Amino acid sequence: MLKTLIDAFALISTWEVIIAMFAASVYGLVIGSLPGLSATMATALLVPVTFYLSPIAAIATIVAASSMAIFSGDIPGALLRIPGTPASAAYADEAYAMTRKGQAELALGAGVWFSAVGGIAGVLSLMILAPPLAEIALSFSTFEYFWLALLGLMCATLVARSSPVKAIAGMFLGLLVSCIGIENPGGVPRFTFGITDLFGGIEPIPALVGVFAVAQVMRAMLTPEPPPLPRRKFGSIMAGQWRLTKKYHWQMTRGNIVGIIIGVLPGAGADMAAWVSYAMSKRFSKEKEKFGTGHVEGLVEAGASNNASIASGWVPSLLFGIPGDTIAAIAIGVLYMKGLNPGPTLFTEKASSMYAIYLMFIIANILMIPLGIAMIRVAAYILLAPRSTVMPIIMLCCAVGSFAIGNNMFGVVTVAAFGVIGYVMEANGYPVAAMVLGIVMGTMVEQAFVTSLIKSDGSILPFFERPVAAILAAMAIGALLWPVMVWVWRKLKPMQTATATSR
Amino acid sequence: MRLPDSVTGSFLVVLGAAAAYGGYILPPVPGQPVGPNVFPLVIGTGLALCGLAIVFGIGHSFEEEEELIPLEDGQAAAPPPQGKLYGLRALLPPALLLFYVLAADRLGFIITAAIMVYITSTALGAKWKLALPLAALSPFAIHLIFGKLLRVPLPAGLLPTPW
Repeated sequence: MLKTLIDAFALISTWEVIIAMFAASVYGLVIGSLPGLSATMATALLVPVTFYLSPIAAIATIVAASSMAIFSGDIPGALLRIPGTPASAAYADEAYAMTRKGQAELALGAGVWFSAVGGIAGVLSLMILAPPLAEIALSFSTFEYFWLALLGLMCATLVARSSPVKAIAGMFLGLLVSCIGIENPGGVPRFTFGITDLFGGIEPIPALVGVFAVAQVMRAMLTPEPPPLPRRKFGSIMAGQWRLTKKYHWQMTRGNIVGIIIGVLPGAGADMAAWVSYAMSKRFSKEKEKFGTGHVEGLVEAGASNNASIASGWVPSLLFGIPGDTIAAIAIGVLYMKGLNPGPTLFTEKASSMYAIYLMFIIANILMIPLGIAMIRVAAYILLAPRSTVMPIIMLCCAVGSFAIGNNMFGVVTVAAFGVIGYVMEANGYPVAAMVLGIVMGTMVEQAFVTSLIKSDGSILPFFERPVAAILAAMAIGALLWPVMVWVWRKLKPMQTATATSR
Repeated sequence: MRLPDSVTGSFLVVLGAAAAYGGYILPPVPGQPVGPNVFPLVIGTGLALCGLAIVFGIGHSFEEEEELIPLEDGQAAAPPPQGKLYGLRALLPPALLLFYVLAADRLGFIITAAIMVYITSTALGAKWKLALPLAALSPFAIHLIFGKLLRVPLPAGLLPTPW
């Protein structure tokens, strides 16, 4: 244990890791603070760069950039009422109301402080939850993996803030995309239409860059430019944060726990955590009437929640290769490329790398406090950059980055195609996160499914025979039937009330 | 690009059916009952069923309307210019990416990238005073990071970079 910890320290105390982490932090802060550029997009655009780094440095950039971007989205939310990332959307109104009351420092300070606390709580959950779960997961057979993957896919559809049917459709689309290529049980070209470039299948990373970055540039083409940030002088940003921590320690803890749970659930990430926690804070608050008028309580809880979900999203990702959120989906792609294939054995064979990931999360969250304060002070200058200068550079990065993944122009075609797909899906209420999950998990789901079918030799019984498999199966089937049940219930309820009133 | 649910649903039905059929006709692995055909068959069927459900409006009640933050006085944004072709602007970014694919090898990275940046920037409302220097400088910056530091083999084309 102590030796692994020392090894982990040795792994991260190289100049490459330190510089990568610092640069990625600044990058994450800047991208997160620009409205319309999300934390997921920041991470996706980082991937081509991670190719050229050592495994630990590559993970360091993702850890640092994603944590920083989630906090940094609070800045334009508080100052302009335009959330920088979707994760800050839940409380942008509240934070802006505080700014108008002259409490911008308190709102932004709460953003930094509770983000850092939440992030560290998330890492603790990763450290505590992952190793025992890995022990259990070691005894899993393909049947358990099949149900687990199905459960993960279903979770993503349940938590979507959209129609569950559309979410399931999006998930199927993603799985269909993963069918393309010759990497299937028979090794035959499947859905390649004779195009050689499709033989290798659709790479998840260009698809993600397309869905999250190109689609965003496409949306920017049709939406008006956000107003510039008024320049202002800030007082002390951290003043009063300790008092808030003591006053709202229960709300903070509740936010942390909710964030951790939502982070672990596949497909649900920081934005969902913030919405749920803000709503919860309002529901249980003693001063409900103050919400919406610039009250810090909801900010504390939601800020603690969205950052906690970032680290806990890595739990299912590292253990099973099932992404906890879209950022973790990208991280999984990087882990595979760097030879850190997700799975329970990672915690025994590459224990020092795992400890290095924990340490980097902790360092990133501590680093967030000074860098975040600096960022708040210079935000007015960064937000001066008009969209018409930022978006073209994002476009270039998409083109070059997707080319760099395979040194192949087909990557750029993939990015363009998935930009259109993502844009059309989003515009019509199909959650893209569900599709992303399908693309990332497709190969694994198929492998588990087909191997299980071969093993069971045509019988369906082995899918339910093992106790863990049976429990997971019950949960997955329940999740699948849930929308149907709700639909039936909603259909029945008006009838009952109608008969009740007619009597 | 908001299409009626019946259109997107029908599209999914067709796509799902095509995927299921495409999976069905795949050659099986000899001596093995399950092969590469099973998964597309399952997915295609599922997709087609979802498409049907969407056509019939099942689950529509779950959809939340987009929460628009009401504008305040003095903050009111100008109404976006409307026109038949306005919506097509959204297709500009993917079109430019395809242009990059077709032109980069012949024109080289610097020239292609400069054209992309200039068009995107102008489309987003930049004046030429801003767009032109941006188009002239940013390809070199990107080339420096990706081509020089990260050793991505970017095409040189007509205009080789000085490094």
